[in-house]
Amino acid sequence: MSLKSYSRARAVHIMLVYTGGCNGCDIEIVNCVLSPKYDAEQYKVFLTWNPREADVLVVTGPVTKHNEKPLREIYDAIPEPKAVIAAGACALMGGVYKNIHGDIPSEEIMGPVDNIIPVDAKVPGCAVRPEDVLSGVVSALPLLLDAK
Amino acid sequence: MNENNKITEKNVIETEVAMGPVHSAAIEPYRVRLFVEDEMVKDAEITVGINHRGIERIMEGLPVEKANSLTEKICGICSNSHIWNSVLVAEKAIGIDVPERAQYIRVIMEELERLHSHLLYLAHGNEVLGHETFAMRIFYIRETVMELLRMIGGNRVQYGASIIGGVRPRCELDAMRIQKISEGMDIIEEKILDFADRFVSDPMIMSRITGVGVLTRKQAIELAASGPTLRSTGVETDLRTEMEAYEPFEFNVITQDDGDVKSNLLMRVLEIPEAINIIRQAIKHLPDGKITNRSWDMQDAPITKSYIEVPRGKLYHSYALEDGRVRNSIVRTPSIANIGAMQYAAVGHHITDAQLAIVQCDPCFTCTDRAIQIIKI
Repeated sequence: MSLKSYSRARAVHIMLVYTGGCNGCDIEIVNCVLSPKYDAEQYKVFLTWNPREADVLVVTGPVTKHNEKPLREIYDAIPEPKAVIAAGACALMGGVYKNIHGDIPSEEIMGPVDNIIPVDAKVPGCAVRPEDVLSGVVSALPLLLDAK
Repeated sequence: MNENNKITEKNVIETEVAMGPVHSAAIEPYRVRLFVEDEMVKDAEITVGINHRGIERIMEGLPVEKANSLTEKICGICSNSHIWNSVLVAEKAIGIDVPERAQYIRVIMEELERLHSHLLYLAHGNEVLGHETFAMRIFYIRETVMELLRMIGGNRVQYGASIIGGVRPRCELDAMRIQKISEGMDIIEEKILDFADRFVSDPMIMSRITGVGVLTRKQAIELAASGPTLRSTGVETDLRTEMEAYEPFEFNVITQDDGDVKSNLLMRVLEIPEAINIIRQAIKHLPDGKITNRSWDMQDAPITKSYIEVPRGKLYHSYALEDGRVRNSIVRTPSIANIGAMQYAAVGHHITDAQLAIVQCDPCFTCTDRAIQIIKI
């Protein structure tokens, strides 16, 4: 293991971006990183709100029209190597908001997240369970650690 | 502080601090503009609409059962309130009698939701204050409620308890579940009372939050604030006293006097034992019988309205029924009533208190972004 990946593995910073879901997934993610029960900080996973510090970007929500530009800007601001995790049904396929009455696409929703930025790991669920978020973050870690 | 709800001296005040739509201090996307002079906030402007998903448009023309489950996706914090109120509209329109046991289970779910919403508010408030230890403690208490909700509804966040005519069969409370709820209530009460003691006896916290973000009673009434934000200024108003489902229960309406951050935080701390009290009464006197009334026929109905009290204030749902489908759906959430209060609470204080003053009104911008039309008079 190189010195870089050794130090990266000891401080994985997650940034949460909220693009217009229902608040359910976001609170579960904050809960799973911060709260004493799930406590991802014991595995050296920290929550940050600064894209310059972040390694992993967690995106929730179906990406509404107004959120598309901020999401791209945040993605560009994160330094390489980076990983993107889409969490929740809305981020994966637009959820209940994407298609009105089956097949008419909604004009308000630009998502899913795949359409806007490349996604490395996907966490299903409505709302996501904290256990799944942790396993999603772990599955994205090799992208960070194996980078030169 | 300007008396009218508009920004008057925008040209004079040069320094503007803009936050959002994505900002480190605000988890949800919204935009705040603070007009600052000598580090004192002279005016504030909150813009919403970034989250707009057009859920009323999606509901239009859906079968009423589907539309009801869709209202749950408006908000991940008060999801049970939305589905309950939406179901109440249909029940009122068609004239369905709900079994008494189902009413009790709905009240239990609503009060559990109030517990987790208030605990989340306290945790978030303490985090904004900078007291992370208290936030962690509250998150730990909140896990007990989340596990109870997962046990009853099958999901931690969206549990879909109510259906037209009663509650879902999976939310039936058997003896084991009642036992677990009762044990959970004991744990929460013990821990929240311990927290309350530490909270009010901490001079650092008290001096930080007293007199910050003051909203006077007159302003709160004029701005049509609702729920705990209004009650924290001393107005005794709670729709639960008028709701049919809460008739069998005895509880106190908590009020505070000052309308500042301290009053708002203490409001939630004091409302938690009241919610626990209601849950205890409900599980003690839980009536026997069916939980769903299935003997009803769909019929057309004009626009029917329903108001209920949810953790953040008054929630309004209305729609008309046509061939079993939803028409002209309107949702008005309590946070939209409190936006005015958030703007005014931030004015007149130091800029470092602005975020605290906004958070004290318990904003939920996911709920708030409904279709609104602003008419210029």
